[in-house]
Amino acid sequence: MHIPSSLDQADSGVNRLPMRPAGQVMQLERLGSFHQSRLSFMRTLVRRMVVENWQINSPVFDLDEHGYGTVVYQIEAKYGTFSYVVFSHYLDPERRNDRVIADQWDLTMALCEGTVDTKQLEFLRNNVPKQEAGRVDSRVLVLSRANRSARLFDYVVNELADGCQPDVDAIADVGYLYRTTAAYGSGKLGMADWEKVWTKHRDFARPFAAEMFTCFMLRHFSMQQADYLASQRSPTKAVALHEDIKRYIGIGNSTGLGMAPFLINHPLLINQWIEMRETALATAVATSEIGVDLETLLRLDTSVERVIQHLNEIVTADERQSKANIQVAKELQLLHVWLQEESTALAISHYVWASLTQYAEQHWLIETQEVINTLLIELYPELVDGLEDHMWVEESYQITPEMSVAELLEVVEEKYDWALAIDFTQYESMGAFWYRSDEKMEPRLGQTNIDMGMEKEMPLGIGRRVRECYDLIYSYNQSYPDQDVAHFVVRNPTYSGIVARIQTMAESHYGDIRENLVHSDVLPIHLLRCKLSFFGVSKFDPRSRLWVRNTMFQGAPLISDFGKLFFDDWQFPIKPTLTSG
Amino acid sequence: MSKNELTASLKKAFEALGFQPGDYYDAADMVVWLETHGFYGFDRLLAVLAYLNTTAPVHAELVQEDVHNFVLDGKGTSVLLCGSEAVDLIRAQVMKGACAGLELTNCYNRTFIIQRLIKAAQRNLAFVAYWRQLDCCVKVSVKPGAVLPEYQTFTMLDVIDPQSLIIFCGKSIEAIEEQYAAELEFGTLVDTFSTQEMTDSYRNSVEEGIEIDESLWETLDKLVARVLVESTDSSRAGAGE
Repeated sequence: MHIPSSLDQADSGVNRLPMRPAGQVMQLERLGSFHQSRLSFMRTLVRRMVVENWQINSPVFDLDEHGYGTVVYQIEAKYGTFSYVVFSHYLDPERRNDRVIADQWDLTMALCEGTVDTKQLEFLRNNVPKQEAGRVDSRVLVLSRANRSARLFDYVVNELADGCQPDVDAIADVGYLYRTTAAYGSGKLGMADWEKVWTKHRDFARPFAAEMFTCFMLRHFSMQQADYLASQRSPTKAVALHEDIKRYIGIGNSTGLGMAPFLINHPLLINQWIEMRETALATAVATSEIGVDLETLLRLDTSVERVIQHLNEIVTADERQSKANIQVAKELQLLHVWLQEESTALAISHYVWASLTQYAEQHWLIETQEVINTLLIELYPELVDGLEDHMWVEESYQITPEMSVAELLEVVEEKYDWALAIDFTQYESMGAFWYRSDEKMEPRLGQTNIDMGMEKEMPLGIGRRVRECYDLIYSYNQSYPDQDVAHFVVRNPTYSGIVARIQTMAESHYGDIRENLVHSDVLPIHLLRCKLSFFGVSKFDPRSRLWVRNTMFQGAPLISDFGKLFFDDWQFPIKPTLTSG
Repeated sequence: MSKNELTASLKKAFEALGFQPGDYYDAADMVVWLETHGFYGFDRLLAVLAYLNTTAPVHAELVQEDVHNFVLDGKGTSVLLCGSEAVDLIRAQVMKGACAGLELTNCYNRTFIIQRLIKAAQRNLAFVAYWRQLDCCVKVSVKPGAVLPEYQTFTMLDVIDPQSLIIFCGKSIEAIEEQYAAELEFGTLVDTFSTQEMTDSYRNSVEEGIEIDESLWETLDKLVARVLVESTDSSRAGAGE
């Protein structure tokens, strides 16, 4: 899909969208300030499930009085049948670990194509609980695991068993009954290849749709298990969890450095995600050219108030994030006042959203700017939701060998000016390196000349590699000014990879993330948050600069809501006010 | 195993063997393509791993060129290491003008070149390549935009250097065959590998996954282990612990 935008040099007659430039968008701090949007994978999955009224039941629900055992859910989606298999195990609390290096979990799960017979269930039982140490087959789409929030889970079950609903404030402090620590798909560990998923299973033919569904089903199981345990414990007295509280319960998630290399190793895919999000934003902003009606202004104002409440309810021990949340809430309060006081005048103004975003860029935090951008996108579902079908791109990196080296130099100078601006003679500029640990190949960040493993560094320092390549091309061009890139690569074959990347990404709108990822002070958490925002998580709670806790599907509809009238407005979840029922 | 998992494992294995980014992406793609399309990519991989494990990566050297022709000395290396450069060199020439020819001498594992030709053909270029295999000659033709090659084996009319790979590139197969008619004369057709067989093999790989011999899997695992760094208390801090 190609949408004419202000970034295009050609087609001057086309009415272009005012897209933000790469130099602004691809800064790491901004990417690390993104929030979920209508195009986030959880949002699009939920829309699909609710509207298409997926039917989900559990032909096997075999749990003992402690909640341990096996559950198999059967899912009738629009185009196919799937099975979601859960194994619930006893876990010594001493062994409960959210890190990727853990080897035991409270729950292990698999999403499979079709129905699961006894023989396959036995095969899964022998392999799924082992996770990375086991092997599955191409009938499995996703493998995942989760750990219980012991504090909240036990509290909720006890309350329900006593015939009471749990306190919403207690739910708000944690936000979930289980935390997922990994959801593997895309053909890992013997599973179905991504190509099989997107060609054969239309229900999950979008990036990370199957992985997100696995987490959604975990959320459903967590609440069903809590209800089940309460009723087991006190059959006559127990009550079921209130549906409004259920909607407010999400799934916890811990994300560490394992996610970071993905963003660097898949720049075309990331470019596509960013481009679609920016296209949605530009579409929303352009819509206000002819004015904004009062009803739309009111919807924005309502959303702003909701985000303020959402931010105030977030519990985080991270000082930087806490301060940011407070400041964003303050700035949104100013926006709220502006909308209240000026709505009549705004309704007859042109370019209201362009003025708003421009003002925000000049006066408010990047985090605030990105909240506003997300909210503007929310206002125009009919204009932006179609972009969800274009979040995937087949990645192919190829050299353009006929390009002259002089032209390649110009490409680097224009598209990678950010990399050339970095002074790599400074120690800090190369003060960190990325490597894979022998513990489950976990990516880690080391300190140059201090930690072991520099000789096995992962090639994530794109800026540095571009700089080295540029210097070499520059010298080469002095000696062979008429030669092409093919000749340069034949004489410098170890640079073929970075040349292919430069030439391929130069043809994209947003290109590479503009940050020196081997700087001593690099903040990988921005990378994590960027990807998580496209997943659709909320309530970012950084635990260090290297990992972040967050909440998935909090506020989302329940399975019992499928097929009913649906307002797709569950982003920025807030504490529910319980209604009867 | 899936294509994705195999590709990821191969990339790391080639990285462990000293391949650079770019080289190991290409090499992994070449192996996966052959295996999934029924060309016994794993058997060929086993043969090449034995060589690569004993030497640092060697690249080809450009030893001769004129307006339409190139000669690259493969210096005894594998097409996994020099195939991409050869194809890039010749297609650059075609993008600037008419057909071009290239001889890659002294190289091994030439069947791997097919994936590079297919990928390059997506830019609207045609390729014809041939090489000697025992007493026969393998000819591979790829039309512009084609995702599968025509693969044929012929008897030899003239003796071909046993370790050379000849590649011609042009805007169409017809243009190549017209310009290089003399070089593209072969004997009797001995065998063909149909595109239907390739398609069936590929579809099966995607649907059922790829069968891999346990010993090859272990070999790859051992290679992958070379790019991993021993975990210590200090390194766990670098993961956020």
